[in-house]
Amino acid sequence: MSYIENALSGLQGGAVIAALAIGLVLTFRASNVINLAHGAIGMYSAYVYFGLRNFKLASTELGGDLVLPIIGAPSKVHLLDRPTASSAFLVAIAIAIGLGALLYGFVFRPLRSAPPLARVVASLGVFLYLQSVMNVRVKEIGAGALSLQLESLLPQGVVRIGSAKVPTAAFALAGLVIACAVALGVLFRFTRFGLATRAAAEQERGAILTGISPNRLGVFNWMLASGLAGVSVILITGVQQKIDPTETSLLIVPALAAALLGRLDGFGLTTVAGLAIGMTQGAVSWFQLRASLPSWMPNGGLAQAVPLIVILAAISLRGSSLPNRAALLERQLPESPVPKHPVLWTSLLFVGATVALFTLDAQWRLAIVVSIIAGFIGLASVVVTGYVGQISLAQYAFAGLAAFGTAKLAIQGLPFPFAPIVAIAITVFVGILMGLPAVRVRGMTLAVATIAAAVAIEQLVFASSSLTGLESPPRPRLFGIDLGFTATGDNNFRAAFGMLALVLLCAAIIVVANLRRSATGLRWLAVRGNERAAAAAGIDVSRTKLSAFAVSALLAGIGGSLLAYESPSLSSQQFMVVGALAVLALCYLGGIASISGALMAGVLASGGVLTQLQGGNTGNASSYQFAVSGLLLVVVAVLYPDGVIAGLRNAITRWSKHAGKNTPTAGTQSTRVAS
Amino acid sequence: MTELLTIRNLGVAYGGLLAVDDVELVIHANEVMGLIGPNGAGKTTTIDAICGFIPHAVGTIALGGQAIQQLAPHERARSGLVRTFQSVELFDDLTVRENLVVAAQAPRWYSLVFDAVRPNRARSFTAVDRAIELTEIAALSTLRPNELSHGQRRIVGVARALAASPALVLLDEPAAGLDPQETERLGALIHRLPSEGIGVLLVDHDMALVLEVCDRITVLDFGRVIASGTPDEIRSNDVVIAAYLGSSSE
Repeated sequence: MSYIENALSGLQGGAVIAALAIGLVLTFRASNVINLAHGAIGMYSAYVYFGLRNFKLASTELGGDLVLPIIGAPSKVHLLDRPTASSAFLVAIAIAIGLGALLYGFVFRPLRSAPPLARVVASLGVFLYLQSVMNVRVKEIGAGALSLQLESLLPQGVVRIGSAKVPTAAFALAGLVIACAVALGVLFRFTRFGLATRAAAEQERGAILTGISPNRLGVFNWMLASGLAGVSVILITGVQQKIDPTETSLLIVPALAAALLGRLDGFGLTTVAGLAIGMTQGAVSWFQLRASLPSWMPNGGLAQAVPLIVILAAISLRGSSLPNRAALLERQLPESPVPKHPVLWTSLLFVGATVALFTLDAQWRLAIVVSIIAGFIGLASVVVTGYVGQISLAQYAFAGLAAFGTAKLAIQGLPFPFAPIVAIAITVFVGILMGLPAVRVRGMTLAVATIAAAVAIEQLVFASSSLTGLESPPRPRLFGIDLGFTATGDNNFRAAFGMLALVLLCAAIIVVANLRRSATGLRWLAVRGNERAAAAAGIDVSRTKLSAFAVSALLAGIGGSLLAYESPSLSSQQFMVVGALAVLALCYLGGIASISGALMAGVLASGGVLTQLQGGNTGNASSYQFAVSGLLLVVVAVLYPDGVIAGLRNAITRWSKHAGKNTPTAGTQSTRVAS
Repeated sequence: MTELLTIRNLGVAYGGLLAVDDVELVIHANEVMGLIGPNGAGKTTTIDAICGFIPHAVGTIALGGQAIQQLAPHERARSGLVRTFQSVELFDDLTVRENLVVAAQAPRWYSLVFDAVRPNRARSFTAVDRAIELTEIAALSTLRPNELSHGQRRIVGVARALAASPALVLLDEPAAGLDPQETERLGALIHRLPSEGIGVLLVDHDMALVLEVCDRITVLDFGRVIASGTPDEIRSNDVVIAAYLGSSSE
C-alpha cells in the first residue's frame, strides 16, 4: 500500500471528471452555457443501462425495462427481453445523445443570448428535474445501488507497478479519455466542423453569413458531449459499484473545476486537470486513512475538498479585480425596483404572519418558520446576486456554518443570544474571507467557483464526525421568556419561536430595503451595471462587492441559526449546495433583484407555506415537488429570461403602449432614437 | 504655471506590440490639452494607463506633484483624476442624478451600518448640483439612461466625471456622434472648465472642436508623441499633416 497506488487508482475517478469536463467545454463552446446538468445526463444514462441489464439469468425476470424520467408517466416501460451488454449500452448512449439534442433544441438554443443568470437557472432546472425525478424512481422501483447489478464493462484485474497494485480499469478509463481528448483535438483543429464550431462561438452572425448553420453545429456538439457523459458515467459506475441520483449528478463539481482550469477552451489542459483531480483525491484519501492527522483536522471529505480548494486558488489568482477593456458586457440582470413604502409592507407582513402563527395549527407554524428561514436565504441571494450581480451559490454553506456554530456553542454552554451572535459573526467573517478571492472572478466563473467552495465547506466542515448528527441547541430563553420551538403534547410547535423568526425577518427586510435605497445600494447597482465605469467614478469595486458578500453572509447566517433551533438535529444534508441552487432559482422566479423575490422564494420553498397549502409535509404530494419546480424553472427561464416579474412588467408595458399608441411618451421616443 | 499632471516614460506593451511607447505629457493647471492621432495611435490606451486601468503599464504619473502610478483606478479617481469613456458607460439601473451621486460621494467605513439604519437618499450634494448646472441637464435628472438620446448620454457621462470634483478630467471622444448644436455646447463647456479649476485632457476626432478649445495639443502616432504645441503650430506641422490631418487641411 502506498499513496502512489491510491493516486493511480484515482485515475478512474479522474477519467470521469475529465470526460465530463470535456463535455462541459464542448457545450460551452457550442452555446455559451455551463451546463450544470451535465453530470445528471450521465447519471440518467447510467440508470438506463443498469435498469435494462437488471435481470437474473436463472429467474423469470426479463430485465430490459427502461426507466422513464417523466413526471406522471409510468416508472418504467418494457423495451426488450434480456438485452446483452452491448445492446443495453447502445440504447443507453442513444438516449443520452437524444437527451442532449432535446436540451439544446428546446432549452439552450433559445437561451443563447439570454442573461447568464437565465442560462444558469435553466441548467439548474434540468439538474434538479433529473436528479429529483430519479430519486423518486429509485424509491419506487427499488433500483437502489444494492438491488442493481452494477457490472463492470472494463477489464478486471490489477497491474503491478513495483509494489503497487493498480486496477487495470484505472488505466483503461484514463486511456479512453485521453484518446477521446486527442480525437476531439484533431477534429476541432483540422476539420471544417471544428473550425466552424469555433467560428460560430466567436461570431454567430458572421458564421451564418459564411454559410455555417450554428444550429446544426450546436446540436452536434451537445450530442457529442452528452454521449460522452453517458459512456463515462456508465463505465465508472461499473468500476466503483455505486450510483446515486444526487451524488452521481454532483460529479459535475470537480468536472467544472477541471473545465475552468482549462479555461473552458481546449481539451488538453482540461483532461490533464481532470485526471490530476482524481489522482489528488486518491492520494489525499490515503493520507486520511494512514497518516495520523491531528484531531482538529476534518476526517471526512478532505479528498473531495482539497483539489477544489487548489483550483479555487488558481482561478482567483488568474482573475483580476476589474474586467479588461475587451470584456463583453453581459446582458443585464432584471430591473431592481426601488422598494416603495417598505415599512408599510413589512408591517402588513408582520401582522398577517402574527395572526397566522397564533390562530393556525402546529403544522402551519412549522411551515411558516420554514418559509421565514428560506426567506433569509433568499434575501442573502437578492443582495449578492440581485443587487451586485455576483452569482453566488454558497448561501446554504454559510447558513450551515452558522447553524452548526450556534448548536456547538450553545451545547458547550454559551447562553442564548450570544451563541447565535458569535456563530453569525464567525459566518460573516468567513463570508468576507471567501469574498476576497471571489471579487477577482465574475459571471459564470464565479458561479462555478462558489459551487466549488460550498462543496468544499460541506465536505470539510459539515461532514466532519464531530458535527454530524449534532443535536439541536438548548432551548433559547430571553428575559425569562421561553422561545423554544418544540413543545410536548398536541401543541408541538410554539408560536413564540415563530415570532422570534418573524421579528428578525421583518428587521432584515427593512435593513435590506434601506441599503437598496441608500448610497450603498446605488454603488451596488453601479458595480452590477459596469465595473470599469464604477472604478472610474471612484467606486472601490472590490470593497463594494465585499460589503455585499458580508451582508449576504449575515442574512444567510441568521437563517442558519434559526434553522439550528428549528430542526431536531442537524445533518450536512440540510446544507447541500442543491438547496442553495433551489433557493436561487426560486428567487429568480420571483424577481432576483427585489425583496419580493426573496419572500416568494420563502413561500415556494419545500416544506414552506406553499407545501402546507398543497396538503402539508406529510402527504405524498411533495415527492415530485423538486422535479416540478425544476421543470418550472426551465420553462420560465426559456419563456421569461429576465424572470417572471420582469416578464410581466414588459407585458404590461407592451399592452399599455399598444392601448395608447397615439400618445407615445417622450421616454419611448428617445429610446427609439438611442437604439 | 504649475504642473497638474506629469507623465514620464509612459509605456504599455501588449505582447511584442508597443501600444504606448515612452510618452511624455505635461498638463498645467487651468489648461485644456488635446490628444489627437489616427485610429490605433494609442489615445485611449494612454487614458486607460493614466487612470490605472492597465496594471502592467510602466512609467511615472504624478498628479499635483504626488506620484500616483501605484494607486488603483478608484483611488486615482478620488484623488482628482476622472475620465469618461468612448462608449459612455452610464449605470443603466440608476437615474441620471444617481449616476452623479455615486461619483460624488466616497463611502466611509461606517457607511454600510449607517445606510442600513437610515437611508440618506435625500441628502444634497453640492458637487452634483454644480455638475448638473454646468452641463445643463437638470431636466434629465430623474430619467434613466435608456430614456436618453445618444447626445444626452454623452453629456451625462461628462457630468458624472465633473460630479467627482476632479482636478483633471480626461474626456475620451466626448463629441463622437453629437449633432452640431450639441458639439457647440460641449465646446463651450470644455472651454469653461479651466475657470472652474478643472484641467482637461481632450481626445477627439472632431478637429474643429479640438483646435478651437485646446490651449495645447499633443499628437500621437503608433504609440509615440510625434508633435506637441499650440493649435496653430499643430495645424502647420508637416509631420502631423502627413500622419493624421491629411492634405485637406492645407
